[in-house]
Amino acid sequence: MTQISLGSRPNENVEPKRANLPGKTRPPRHRAAPYLFLTPYFIITSIFFLYPLAYATLLAFYQTNGPGTKVFVGLSNFRFLIGDSDFHKALWNTTIFAFFSLCLQLPLSLGLAMLLNGKIGRAKAFFRLAIFAPNLVGQVFVGVLFMVLFTPHYGLFNVMLQKVFNWGLDQQWLANPALVMPAIIIASLWIYVGFNMIYFLAALQNVDQSLIEAARIDGAGPVGIFFNVTIPAIVPVATFVVVTSTIGSFQLFELPFTLLQQQSGGYGPADAGLTVVGYLYRNAFDNGDLGTAAAIGWLLTFLVLAISLVQVWLSRHVGSET
Amino acid sequence: MEFPYGKAPLAILILAIISGAAVLWSSAQQASGRPDLIFATFSKEQGAAYAEALPAFEKKYNCHVTIEVVDQAALKNRLASALLVGAQVPDMVELIDGSMGYFTKGPIKDVGFVDLTNIMHSSGLYDRIVKSRFTKWSSRGHIFCLPHDVHPVMLCYRRDLVEQMGIDVNQLTTWDKFCAVGREVVKKNTDANGMVSHYMIDMFNDGLDGLRIMILQHGGTIFNNKGQVEFDTPGNAEVIIWEVKQLEGPTRIAFPCGWGQPLSRAMIDGLCLFYFCPDWRTEQFQSDVPMLAGKLDLMPLPAWTEGGVRTTTWGGTGLAITKQCKQRGDKYFDLAWKLAQYLYLDPQQLGERFQTTHVLPPEKDLWSLPVFDQRSSFYSGVKLARVYANLAPYIPQEFVSPYQEQAAGKLSAAFLDAMQYYNDHGDKGLMDYVMGDLHVKADYVRKLMARNVFLASDSKGAS
Repeated sequence: MTQISLGSRPNENVEPKRANLPGKTRPPRHRAAPYLFLTPYFIITSIFFLYPLAYATLLAFYQTNGPGTKVFVGLSNFRFLIGDSDFHKALWNTTIFAFFSLCLQLPLSLGLAMLLNGKIGRAKAFFRLAIFAPNLVGQVFVGVLFMVLFTPHYGLFNVMLQKVFNWGLDQQWLANPALVMPAIIIASLWIYVGFNMIYFLAALQNVDQSLIEAARIDGAGPVGIFFNVTIPAIVPVATFVVVTSTIGSFQLFELPFTLLQQQSGGYGPADAGLTVVGYLYRNAFDNGDLGTAAAIGWLLTFLVLAISLVQVWLSRHVGSET
Repeated sequence: MEFPYGKAPLAILILAIISGAAVLWSSAQQASGRPDLIFATFSKEQGAAYAEALPAFEKKYNCHVTIEVVDQAALKNRLASALLVGAQVPDMVELIDGSMGYFTKGPIKDVGFVDLTNIMHSSGLYDRIVKSRFTKWSSRGHIFCLPHDVHPVMLCYRRDLVEQMGIDVNQLTTWDKFCAVGREVVKKNTDANGMVSHYMIDMFNDGLDGLRIMILQHGGTIFNNKGQVEFDTPGNAEVIIWEVKQLEGPTRIAFPCGWGQPLSRAMIDGLCLFYFCPDWRTEQFQSDVPMLAGKLDLMPLPAWTEGGVRTTTWGGTGLAITKQCKQRGDKYFDLAWKLAQYLYLDPQQLGERFQTTHVLPPEKDLWSLPVFDQRSSFYSGVKLARVYANLAPYIPQEFVSPYQEQAAGKLSAAFLDAMQYYNDHGDKGLMDYVMGDLHVKADYVRKLMARNVFLASDSKGAS
């Protein structure tokens, strides 16, 4: 077949010969072409990635007042961060957010995906869009929206709680440190459940139906099929979702910053909504200390890398067992 | 002629050339059309009032001035970043209360504003303006802004409801008396389910501005005149405990109505009877809740002790001239200083502007203007400017520091900790707990300040 199809091309004797020409015999413009096309990529990567990366590494050893004034402080920034109670708080808040986001987000996403994967006909497209739509508007919009929804006494969320549970009308979601993190998690669920649902839905639609049929013939019930056929089949996608959600959770910033902006300057009462990236922002742009901010950035990078590696290893381990 | 790499790269190249040319042309246009002065403010009301006053100034000095209104957070962040990297900034900038420290974290030579200390003294302004206002706009002994206002605080109240409930505001001379009446109000207006329809007062429960103004009235401070942290005092602890007890527990009389629409709704519903009200807020209320015209009135704050100070201060604006303006040439700095005086100190301007902004100017001589004796029908016929002017000389002074924001955050955290402790344990051991917590929080800020190599190197001691 290959021979027939190649044989039908008029240039079959010319193209392979050209391809085999030694580089130096090619016209100069052809030799330069690949590099020319790659140049924009290298320039952009160098300016916006490699240079900042190298500069951030250097900056982590300085204390600065903006980019103009800096003093070398050695490892002082790292020492300060390791002992800093605000950094610990930011780390703790972010970890709590990541943990509860994953624990709530993933089951909800999977559950919704399974519902939509059922036989609901034309309504599927509508629900898929409706559930995914919050992701389209972005974290800043959601932050502002939930800031209004969580208003004590008058906010829709509080009014709904009062009507349904006879509790919560005057709850200070954004002013009570104990309620700030639940408020952020609720708002983030609204954005991300639909987003992750799309991944799970795609994975569920690709589960081999013959395996499910075979399991059913062997007498497996819905629960058995779910745990023994569906889950192993979607493990690669679930791993991807877990890793990306974890990384996203550790990069959380815009949502709490906008949600808490009016009430308490973006970080929440008693820093209850301070995240690691928020702490980085505070140091870099509120304090003007880019050095400490760079050190925070590096610590965050290593942390996320370590967690992601553990997650990938765990998922492989679990996947191979199942 | 044929492009050697195909049509798509050719199209991309052409687009790149056209875009580049457009950007260059647009930058050149902007540079050539730059006005003599660019004035940035965060307040829409002030921006509109200045825009009205500008034509006369422009005509007199044959110049062109542009007013830019920028959101306050954006103005602060973008201006700080632009100053730090040496990007183009406006010539004159109105800064909001609390932002001075933001611009003065580094060495004093790095501050992007012109030091106005000498000109304030040589022009005599230093003696004519309420002195306590300068501390807000100074760092390490250098004045960087011309104060725009005084912002004494009164209580605005729903006169109709207060009279209906038989409350005589003239009797509410101390906070103790005020709270006693408040407890009765809350008790009488609580239904069987524990829902309260009328609280005595709107009070913030975040431990930020609401707490700070009470601390100032109480004679406390967050930083002392040397710029050192000083919020861990027994006096401040007393204020924290007092405020916690108004917001939580069996003696509660306050509800946090917040800002914007929820606040307007609460005012209309009469959810709270009294509201903290600096002069600038009287204008906001007037435009946000016009249906309450004639139903609101004003009274001085109750004092902490009989005969004590019956006001505090909340908010403020300062006008800075950027170093870039001076670097463009002395004539631009002179023009900027003339504009600053025209907008902030010209009697005719201020008289007219008070009608729209309700902001009392900081220059004492100007308070005798006849316009400041006009009655406000919205506030039940009260002489709006006069009642604030009467209190203005007594406003407490507030010292700032580059670590103002961090200190405010820690003070707020201490307040919230106290609230939690009170809810869990009640009154027992509360004072010791609050004092201990305040020490921890203050020490943290001290540690941050000690870590700043720039402050340590050129601090002269004075704030």
